[in-house]
This record gives sequence, structure tokens and C-alpha cells, in this order.
Amino acid sequence: MTISLLAYLLIPLFSAVLIQFVSRNKENLADIIGNITLFAGLLNISYLIFNPVNFKLSFSNIAQDGFTLLMIFMIYLVAFSVSLFSTGFLTKEKNRHHFHSLILVSVSAMCGIVTAGDFFTLYIFVEALAVASFALIAFDDNEKGIEAAIKYFLLTFPASIFILLGMAILLFTTSTFNFAGLQNIVAGGYLSSPIMSGVILILLGFLIKSGVFPFHTWVLDAYQGAYSPVSAFLAGTITKIAGVYAVIKIAMIFKFFDLKLYKISETLMFIGAASILFGAIAAMRQKDFKRMLAYSSISQIGYIIIACGLATPLAILGAIFHMFNHAAFKTVLFLNGASLEKSLNTTNMEKMGGLEHSMPWTSWSSVIALMSTAGIPPLSGFWSKLLIIVALWEGGAKGYSVTAIGAGIITLAYFMVMQRKVFFGKITDAAKKAEEMPALMLAPVMILCAVIIMSGILFPYCYNYLIETITRTIL
Amino acid sequence: MTNIFSLDWYFISLLFFIGLYCMLVSRNMLRQIIGLEIMSKSCLLAIILSGVATNNVNLAQAIAITMILIEVVVVAIGLSVLIKAYRITGSIDLWKLSKLKG
Repeated sequence: MTISLLAYLLIPLFSAVLIQFVSRNKENLADIIGNITLFAGLLNISYLIFNPVNFKLSFSNIAQDGFTLLMIFMIYLVAFSVSLFSTGFLTKEKNRHHFHSLILVSVSAMCGIVTAGDFFTLYIFVEALAVASFALIAFDDNEKGIEAAIKYFLLTFPASIFILLGMAILLFTTSTFNFAGLQNIVAGGYLSSPIMSGVILILLGFLIKSGVFPFHTWVLDAYQGAYSPVSAFLAGTITKIAGVYAVIKIAMIFKFFDLKLYKISETLMFIGAASILFGAIAAMRQKDFKRMLAYSSISQIGYIIIACGLATPLAILGAIFHMFNHAAFKTVLFLNGASLEKSLNTTNMEKMGGLEHSMPWTSWSSVIALMSTAGIPPLSGFWSKLLIIVALWEGGAKGYSVTAIGAGIITLAYFMVMQRKVFFGKITDAAKKAEEMPALMLAPVMILCAVIIMSGILFPYCYNYLIETITRTIL
Repeated sequence: MTNIFSLDWYFISLLFFIGLYCMLVSRNMLRQIIGLEIMSKSCLLAIILSGVATNNVNLAQAIAITMILIEVVVVAIGLSVLIKAYRITGSIDLWKLSKLKG
């Protein structure tokens, strides 16, 4: 009997509709329904992933593979954290049923993306996700939110048009969109250049959506201008699933390195290395907390793209694990940024200082997430970066490998500067008045910190899980 | 067959670049949305043409109808945010949006 994953898509959608009818005048009911739906989904998917029976069968009893399961786990984890956090954050908002409804719709769309079996289904859910996240960015009715939403709109929808044009060419040359059908064509050996031009157009669209170096401008404005818990959701999952997931999937199907398509492979690796370096160097001179995290996010996406360009099994494994880790630590950082914004009324780092005295939990959880981002050994970020760097070295791309290590040091440098400015050092006047957040808002951050630490310490188990994932999809 | 076919692709790419030109040149947000629509119409035609050329009309029809649905939602969202921007800032000039800077 195979277990279908359709329920992860349908139940949030049902709850999203239910909230609109039931809790129009009872705002607390919206919180309860939203959080319970996401928590139940999280428990359910954890049971599927951590069940040893499923692991022994190497997930052959499930309709999709282990990669999809891990992505659904990541989506539900981040969405539940953001939803629980915003229950505390949204106290004065009148229309919180819209907020929870939109979060649930985007969770549903993301589950649709990761369970999709062909490019057109993927495209439909990407559009649905873009519309939902577009409304979420503009949720806060001020000038910044609107500006961020407009910039997001005018760069992601042209990207969708490139994807569509690529799909039209793919339909013309291969008469199929199906991942399995395309894999058969790839296994046949020869790919004609019209097919590759279609693939390149699709890849271009998804690269714009994931916000790597030449197309990065919307990322900065969207993350900085969006409503604070939304920017955590955006950085943690939405751009990863809408853009980077599809790039990984294309790399898994077309196997650029095996097919000796060196030009696409080289281009992707160059784009990845450029965005690693650009993000890391530009982050050093930012003054705004959220904008600095956005630059850091571009730099971390670069690691995933560089691994996709190489596309050996080890590199794909590193890319998947890094995507999961990135979701965990970047969500912690953006949620803590929202906490700082709420208690200090600013995101300017010049006005912060010595926050470890007044907000100890927020500060130390941020420090853990920062260390994981920079790749300090026991934490999860170290292992995924190590996998990517080793894969690059083994694959013969030694220059890119050295670039990745060098950029890791720059990452450590800018996070050290930021830690000293914000959490340690002299206490400023604004920081004296700051108060620690209530337990409701600290709980999701603590859960994510526990995930970061555990997936770092229990890395051998994670590695086994990822190997199982890879063996069924790539080899 | 081949003659008609190449003429079709010629018009599709013409339409695509008209839309792209409209998006690249204009500063007015309404014109940007119109340019986006022209581009997506050319993609719609390309998909229908590909379906006809590969004897796959059913799939192409299903995709075209779904795409029309998606476009309606996207345009509605774009126009709604345009109206909101006009109420807050008093203009729909794209270059005047410069509140967010690093």
C-alpha cells in the first residue's frame, strides 16, 4: 500500500477557507485553527519521516520520495514556527484571520510544488504561491510593504513568463512535461539543442525567482520591506521552494555533469560563486538588520546553486541538506529580527548594543543560528557546507571549492561584527528599555534552535537519511 | 506546413518582444502590467501552437485554459496593489519608489 501525500495539500486549504467563515468576528479562533492545523501536519510528517519501518523500506511505500518528505517537513516546521510567533506578534491587528488564512494557503501551494510530478503542475502552484506571498508582503499597509510588493510583482511574474516560454518549447520538442518522461529522454543519451534551449529558459525563470546574484535586487527590498514575521516565512521557505527547489529538481533530472553539458554546468557554478562572494561582501557594510540578513541569504543560496551546477550525487545531497539547514537558521534570525523590531522600534544596528543583558534568550538563540550560518563545527551548517565543498573538490572544480571556503570566512567575519554591534558590547539607551519577548514568541525560536543543534550532532543519521533519498531519485 | 509554422513563430516572438519592450521602456506601472499581459499572451499562443504541431491538442487546450485563469488572478492582484500604491504615494511612477535602501 502506498501512502499518498495529498492530504498535506488539501487540509491546510480546507482550514484556510474555514477560517474565513468561522472566525470573522472571533479573532482568537483564527489563531487556534491555524496553529492546530500546522501542528497536526508537523506531527504527522514527523511520524512518517522518523518511523523506522518506513526507513527500512527506504520510503518505497510512499508515493513520492524521501526528498519530498524532507521538504514537506521543512515547510510545516517553518510555517508552524512563523504562525505561532505571529500569534504573539499580531496583538493589535484587526484582521488576523486573513493573515492565518494566507499562511495556510501558501503552505498548501508549497506542498503542491514539492509533490508535483510535471512542470506544468509545478508552474501552477508556483503562481498560486506567488499570489499568496504577494498578499502577505503587502499585509502591513504602509509604504514600505507596498513598495516591496510591487518590486516582487514586477520581477517574479516576468520570470514565470520565461518559464512558460521554456515549457512551450519543451512541449514542442519532446511533447511531454513529465519528470519521469524527461528522465527517460535524458537516459536515452542525446539532448538536442532545442530541448536544451527550453530547459535554459525554465532554469532562467527559476533562477530569477530564487534571487541569485544578477537577479538579486527584489530579494533585498522584499525581505526588508515585508511585514516582519512574513519576511521570516519568505526567507525560510517561500523563495527556497518557489525557486531553489525547482533548480535542484532540474539538476537532478538533467544531470548536467554526467551529460557533459559543461557550459550550463559552468554557468550555474559561476553564478553560484558570484552570488556567494557578492552577498558576503555586500553584507559587511549594511546598517539595517533585515537587509544584512537578506544579503546573507543571497550568499547562502549561492552555495546551493553551485552544488546544483556540479550535480554529482554528493553535491545534490549537500544542496538538499543546506536548503533544510538554511530554512532553520534563517527563520530563527528573521524571527529574532522581528522581536528586536518590536521591542526597540527600529532595525538599525547602530542603535542597538548590549542586548544580551535585556534580551538573553533572543540574543543567545541568534548567536547559535549565526554560528550555524558561518559553519562552526558542531552545528548543522558546518556539515552541509563541508559536503558541498568536498563534492566540489572531488568533482574537479577546485577553484570554486576554495572560493566557497574563503566566502565562509567572510561570513564569519560579518557575523562577528554584527554580534559585537547588536548583542554584546556597550548598552545603548534603546537597549536598556528593551524587554524580553513572552514565552509564546520564544517557543518557536527555541524549537528551531533545537533542530539546528540536533541535526548537527546527529549528523550520521541525517546523512543516512539523505543517502536513502538520493539512491531512489538519482542513481 | 513548414511555411505557415515559421510565420506563426515569427508573430509569437514579435508579440513577446513588443511586451518586453513595453516593460523595459515605460516608467508607468499600468503600462508595465499591460506589457506583462502581452508577453503572457504570446506564451499562450506558443503553447497552443506547440500542441497543434505535435498532435497534442488536448493537453495544450487544458494548459491554455488554466493559464487564462492564472493570468486573471495575477492581473487582479497587480491592479489592486497599483490602486493601493496610488492611494498611499499619489503616483504610479515606478522610479519614485525608493524608500528601501541599504
